[in-house]
Amino acid sequence: MASSSYLKPISSHRLSNPRSQPHFQSQQQLGFAHSQAFATRHLKLSKAAHDQDHFSAKRCSKDFTTRAFFFNKKPKSPPVSPKPTKVQELSVYEINERDRGSPAFLKLSQKPQNSLGDLVPFSNKLYSGDLQKRLGITCGLCVLIQHVPEKKGDRYEATYSFYFGDYGHISVQGAYLTYEDTCLAVTGGSGIFEGVYGQVKLRQLVFPIKLFYTFYLKGIADLPAELLGNAAVIPSPSVEPAPAAKATEPHGIIKNFTN
Amino acid sequence: MAYSSSALRSISSLKSSAARSHASAIVPTKPSLLSFKLAQNPCLLTKTTSSGNFSGTKRSFSCRSQASSTENSRPVQELSVYEINERDRGSPAYLRLSQKSVNSLGDLVPFSNKLYTGDLQKRVGITAGICVLIQNKPEKKGDRYEAIYSFYFGDYGHIAVQGSYLTYEDTYLAVTGGSGIFEGVYGQVKLQQLVFPFKLFYTFYLKGMTKDVPAELLGKAVEPSPAVEPSPAAKACEPNAVIANYTD
Repeated sequence: MASSSYLKPISSHRLSNPRSQPHFQSQQQLGFAHSQAFATRHLKLSKAAHDQDHFSAKRCSKDFTTRAFFFNKKPKSPPVSPKPTKVQELSVYEINERDRGSPAFLKLSQKPQNSLGDLVPFSNKLYSGDLQKRLGITCGLCVLIQHVPEKKGDRYEATYSFYFGDYGHISVQGAYLTYEDTCLAVTGGSGIFEGVYGQVKLRQLVFPIKLFYTFYLKGIADLPAELLGNAAVIPSPSVEPAPAAKATEPHGIIKNFTN
Repeated sequence: MAYSSSALRSISSLKSSAARSHASAIVPTKPSLLSFKLAQNPCLLTKTTSSGNFSGTKRSFSCRSQASSTENSRPVQELSVYEINERDRGSPAYLRLSQKSVNSLGDLVPFSNKLYTGDLQKRVGITAGICVLIQNKPEKKGDRYEAIYSFYFGDYGHIAVQGSYLTYEDTYLAVTGGSGIFEGVYGQVKLQQLVFPFKLFYTFYLKGMTKDVPAELLGKAVEPSPAVEPSPAAKACEPNAVIANYTD
């Protein structure tokens, strides 16, 4: 399926370099070929890690010196397989439908052009990656850090949350550049997202009204099918939520979607 | 501006607290003994696609506990950096929204300063975020802020922190997360103010990282003092005194 194969390259792009380069599309293809090599290499390394832990914990006095000898030489150990941390991907669309009074650009710097001091509280609507269901909202604050004239855009420090109705929420913090994709830190969550950590890739489609996010979440149980939906709609400036989702009809929403 | 007059007050009080922080042990920044060399390439961890695989929560909980034992086997990594305000970024922007003559709850202070390695040899990037003034402490001649900000390390990624910033005393902030090589990080960071509000020294105690902090960031830290300055090459952002795509 075209769309599911699209998902894979996104994650491998993350493996190669999460800080997005301008040529996002071409990077995907390159990254995918490497991802398999990276996966096996990581397994070897984490085996080594696991065995070092093993040695320090055991303190078997008799064999200690012999083991220490081998340990110092090279941790080539019997194949113990530690489980790498499971990463779950979640894609969502954030869309400003201009009906929430957002954003509220507070020009507190009192300078004619965007400067440090301007604050931008905001809140937009959140849809599933396949754009079939309305999930909830985003809300938080963007602190303008600097205007970047050569890129014709701005750097913000963004602290905000994604609300998923009864499922809970995810909080993030990081840079929002109006001219480039960024990665933000996942700082925590509630509900099914309690204990979550990881990062999220922000991809702007239409400034500032359509954004596409790919979360790389760790530390939580498997996400429900309803949130993951079908394969994500390929991000482009012209994407629109399904009419049922936009109208919040019963089959176009999740339970108690945040509003 | 009231802000600068409070700055003057705080400088005098800071000199005494700076002496205190010298007396306390400066934590060394050597990577710990158990650190093992990973390949230099920026490979991250294996990803398991969750494509339609929802066979109950039990399996993923066991993954988590095993994962944490794998990750906890990596010791705490220390990272030191200097944050320096060179007054060329329009920072800080003191927003006196409380509309009171003395610093009060309601004042907001967005800021962004330059970030250098602990050995002051390389420019790594910037800090950026906001301080929310909580209360003025007249007896300490300073203020309490709640700070939410990030440290940007160029191509390496960023670290997000949150916690209290007291203009009259060292504090610890929480490391809430990161991106790039700092993806999944947690722990805390010690903030030592050297010259209010222009020079600060941070020691990060990082856990949960999937790789070692690169050697480039781990040079022997310059002993914190009010007189520290970045190397001229770092300050001028010469090619050998910056990290790749240092954030600016």
